[in-house]
Amino acid sequence: MNIHYEFPLEEVGYSFGFLDEYAKKEVRRTILKAICIPGYQTPYASREMPMGRGFGTGGLQLTLALIGPDDTLKVIDQGSDDSVNAVNLRQFVQLTCPGVGVTEKLEEATLIQSRHRIPEVALTEAQVLVLQVPYPDPLVVVESSEARRKIMHAEADYSRLLVKLYEDIVHFDEITISHRYPTRINRHYVIDPSPIPRWDVPKLDQSPALILLGAGREKKIYAVPPYSVAEPLVFDDVPFRVEDFRDEHGQRRACARCGAINSFLDEYSDDNNAKIYQCSDSAYCDGQLAQHQQREVKG
Amino acid sequence: MSNVQNPMASHGLWLPPMQQQIFRDLLHVFSYPGRVAECTAESMTWLALLASLTDGEVSLADPHGLITADIWPKLEARPTTPDTATFILADGGRAMDFQPCTGSLESPETGATILLRVAALGEDSAGGFQLNLSGPGIQGHTELAVSGLHPSWLIARAGLVAAFPLGVDLLLCDEHRFAALPRTTRIETGEII
Repeated sequence: MNIHYEFPLEEVGYSFGFLDEYAKKEVRRTILKAICIPGYQTPYASREMPMGRGFGTGGLQLTLALIGPDDTLKVIDQGSDDSVNAVNLRQFVQLTCPGVGVTEKLEEATLIQSRHRIPEVALTEAQVLVLQVPYPDPLVVVESSEARRKIMHAEADYSRLLVKLYEDIVHFDEITISHRYPTRINRHYVIDPSPIPRWDVPKLDQSPALILLGAGREKKIYAVPPYSVAEPLVFDDVPFRVEDFRDEHGQRRACARCGAINSFLDEYSDDNNAKIYQCSDSAYCDGQLAQHQQREVKG
Repeated sequence: MSNVQNPMASHGLWLPPMQQQIFRDLLHVFSYPGRVAECTAESMTWLALLASLTDGEVSLADPHGLITADIWPKLEARPTTPDTATFILADGGRAMDFQPCTGSLESPETGATILLRVAALGEDSAGGFQLNLSGPGIQGHTELAVSGLHPSWLIARAGLVAAFPLGVDLLLCDEHRFAALPRTTRIETGEII
């Protein structure tokens, strides 16, 4: 996006939040039904946005239907506030929602739109998390007909999905799903929690903040209401486990930048082709670094 | 005269900024069932809520004749009978006398949203009863005091929401406040206050 771009005329006919009021009302009604039926993929008429489907249009429509001048927005892409997708979406909101504040600090945000990560620090009741979803239906791998999938969801019939997970265990001795781990909400609907890593799945359970998921291309909105049960689909004898960041000596790897040993790490290669690990949540990493520096100054 | 001094006060509920605010309050009460929100618009609560939710795409039933003829065109909603309506506005003080739509297995979202006008919610509910609530959006248990709600609504609701995901979602409103009871909320009727 060209940051110097200006609308051709002063105060042209874009309403606050780009979407027209009818579109917003429809998204809003859909959000309320999605909260009432936790985990149910509620269909809605996804609008054309001035960016390609697959670039967060579902999340963006949720954000634009929610946002008001009192809000402070944080946009994250793969944990980072500075990657292209996040910067684009943030600038679009700034362009179309005059008065809305933006921030990189989680604690200042009232609305958080994210792609592929849930922030490291726990959210609060004063915040709403919007996740961008590419593929909303976890049953699509076992059933190609949407009509049949809708019935399976309604009857909470996930036997074929469990068979798929069981096959994984037979082949590889464990369930090999790295992200988009099927998660059961309020003991009924199983959702695709968007491509968050396993690390983030436990954060869905009993979250104080409302979590909304929007799939623009697939025209679905679903929700994990606050304080709801969210359980990853597992077997009694094969417990769910998150990513293991221990090295060959069993030592927990630390972030190369801030030294944190409790965050989700991204793996990079440095110039010598050696592996380095760094916090995926850049705002968390910055916060940790600032704390260290403060301590050093005091010390 | 107050309208002349502040034209936003009475017309605000038809304008996008107010509707956004009301929607965020609606989002809050649906997310946290049992919590009571203040209505920011200077109008009847049920009208402010309907104004922020309805347009030409939805159907609205008014079995107890609460909506006056001059309001209908502004809401834009298609008038219909309660058994097919997306939204139903009813007087909670009267016994429930219709059968709302609870949706279908494939599309449970077509279950109705029922706005129930009651006498009072929260601390002003003397003479009413306490509802003990649990379920999604509630940490453990919570309580909601309500007065002017005919007991038949709670009995009927229990039957309507028994087969999740089918069900209806209730929105209780008094003169200034509102609270939501989504289909997932478990209600036990508590003591009379």
